[in-house]
Amino acid sequence: MKRNATVMLTLILAMSTLLAACGGKNNNNGTASSSASSSASAPASEAASPSEETVEPFTVSLRHIQIGDPQKFRKAILDEVVKRTEAEVPGVTFELDGIEDAVNRFTKLPAEMAAGNPPKIFDLFGGNADALKYAKAGRLLDLTPIIEELGIKDKFLNVFGQFTLDGKIYGLPIGGSVEGVFYNTELFQANGLNAPTTWDDLVKAADTLKAKGITPFAMGSQAAWVPNMLVGTLVGRYANGFPNGIVTGDVKWNSPEVVSAYTLYQDWVKNGYFTKGELGKSYDDMLNDFAAGKAGMMFDGSWRSSAFKEGAVAAGMAGKVGFVALPALPNAAGDQTSLNANFSNGYGFSSDLDENELKAVTSFIKNLYNDEMQLRGLLEDGVLPSMKLSDESLAQVTDPVVKQVLDVMKAAGSTFVHFDAIAQKPVYSETELQLQKLIAEKASAQEVGDAIQKVQEVENSK
Amino acid sequence: MKNALRNPAAYLMFIIPTIALYGLFFLYPMFSSVFYAFTNWNGLEETKFMGWANFETAFGDRNFRSAIINNMYFIVFSVGLQVPVIVLFALLISNVKRFKGFYKTTVFIPSILSTSVIGILWGFIYDPDIGPISAGLKFFGIEPIYWLADSKWAMIAILLTNAWQWVGFYIVLILAAILAIPKDIDEAAAIDGANATQRAWYLTIPLIKPIISVVVMLSIAGAMRVVDIVLVMTNGGPAGSTEVMASYMVNKAIKYGDYGYGMALSIIIFAFALVFTAIYQLTLGKTERIEY
Repeated sequence: MKRNATVMLTLILAMSTLLAACGGKNNNNGTASSSASSSASAPASEAASPSEETVEPFTVSLRHIQIGDPQKFRKAILDEVVKRTEAEVPGVTFELDGIEDAVNRFTKLPAEMAAGNPPKIFDLFGGNADALKYAKAGRLLDLTPIIEELGIKDKFLNVFGQFTLDGKIYGLPIGGSVEGVFYNTELFQANGLNAPTTWDDLVKAADTLKAKGITPFAMGSQAAWVPNMLVGTLVGRYANGFPNGIVTGDVKWNSPEVVSAYTLYQDWVKNGYFTKGELGKSYDDMLNDFAAGKAGMMFDGSWRSSAFKEGAVAAGMAGKVGFVALPALPNAAGDQTSLNANFSNGYGFSSDLDENELKAVTSFIKNLYNDEMQLRGLLEDGVLPSMKLSDESLAQVTDPVVKQVLDVMKAAGSTFVHFDAIAQKPVYSETELQLQKLIAEKASAQEVGDAIQKVQEVENSK
Repeated sequence: MKNALRNPAAYLMFIIPTIALYGLFFLYPMFSSVFYAFTNWNGLEETKFMGWANFETAFGDRNFRSAIINNMYFIVFSVGLQVPVIVLFALLISNVKRFKGFYKTTVFIPSILSTSVIGILWGFIYDPDIGPISAGLKFFGIEPIYWLADSKWAMIAILLTNAWQWVGFYIVLILAAILAIPKDIDEAAAIDGANATQRAWYLTIPLIKPIISVVVMLSIAGAMRVVDIVLVMTNGGPAGSTEVMASYMVNKAIKYGDYGYGMALSIIIFAFALVFTAIYQLTLGKTERIEY
């Protein structure tokens, strides 16, 4: 008897140790971060018991990329939307999780998507490598019924191309951008240079600046998506049907047209047109070099215009910055008035939502995607609206750079999207690696084209 | 109580929870990664069995091959250059009369710093515009070197930083071995007329050979799995020139979402580390036990 009692006691002790070790803290306030466990939705769905009159407090995780000083205007808009939504939906608290853009897009979100536990609301890019891939896997919420219910579906411009799968919309672009040349008007005047609106003026400006010891183009190629912006536009100007043609096989990376674009880029590297040591410079360094007057020009997206206003990171440049489209290239086959324009960044939502979370998401969409916030985005942050704004609203734009961006957009003959929205992920990654090799002069333009095309063909055959 | 311990059930009750945890957190991940290494699992699409395809891709992959070569640089640098420096410094510190504690502490400090901190610190030191190295070079009229941006220099820059981080740890290890040698052996040699260099070369080093061998083996293993310093300082760049096997695996698995391929790479890394350490242990690493 005594022996059995001891065995039982031991058993109880062992089991309780095991249970204590394995037991989770199942409190229903859901403060645990969404990435903490693979079943992150469990606490939230437990919290939501629809039979009760008063809603128990619940949290909605929100992943954004508005971190750091350059994004502060966008963050302010997001904060306002969160505040309004929290006031509107009983019980909801948003849990903001700010992460650097590339880390979110290329590391964290893909891992969460694979594990099936993305945040409820998250910053999302459109295209094959992002939104469409996740939509196919059933991770994204179909937003079509929500925007129809809110009556805002027709208010959007034609911006859903990179977010639509089988007629359903899986992401809402927050705004748009065009890529072009920012130039320092003060430096240009001081050196007797014309605005770089023609190819000759651009090259002359680059040569003159270089001769004066000023870097012609600020560049930060540590992350290769930065120089890939210029490459994207150059290739688009050289090759008709780019970038859509790369997945259909109509445009080949090693075709003479695409190789010409890479050759031009490498020539510029060899001519010393870009920041010295660009492979060690970050995207922020690029802005700093331009803002400090170390470089006369920089090729960047129109979203950067918000850096050059009062109270922004490069406020010293206010009133001294011009923006033009990349001028027409001589002897290039593509449409020389075409622009790289994108409505590729916005918000996506997890398909794994309970009733309360869905309410919060609907309210969030209502508060973020409306005339007021779109206009604020344009006026405060220089983001081109993704929704139709009245002429009166557009007339409120006073920022000189944003005005020029709007003019550039108006003058464009056609637009094409950045190839990161079209190319499969391994292809895009290969373009990054090969471009860095080109910059390091470890590969010729033809070798770069061949290497990327090889990966492209493997992906196209899948 | 005595009787209870004779009952096998009692043992099982204590062992099973531990075995279960061990299985859950060690065996299961290990075997599932071996399984996924033979698939094209990416977390989103249907998983297909691929056979040896991932391994074939890996060895046909030029970028992975260059990553393997970079790992070899790490091995050569840490065994060929780092270990002699470590032994030299350990000998010097063991012979100082004053401030021995101070030297021990200062050389050890880098190894308790987080790699991120070291990466940022050295990123500043290597900065071509504001870094002290460039300032020094400028003083002598030499053009600044773009340490981390130039594919010629980036690998060397990382090797130096990595050495700086770990040398202190090994010095302390060897120092402990030197200080454990009984003083009378050294004194007897001194009385016989051996000078300090002779005593170090013919007495101390042979006596600490077993620990040097351990340091070499740890260096090889460390060089095979090095990744954090690379991710922090260059993320494999510029143009893949500092990519090591593990950073390549991290990028393939996490950035491209190609988990199946990433798992295959991780198994290759494991196999390499196993083979290298085994070769070393069976050849040069064989040491006799020394008793004083």
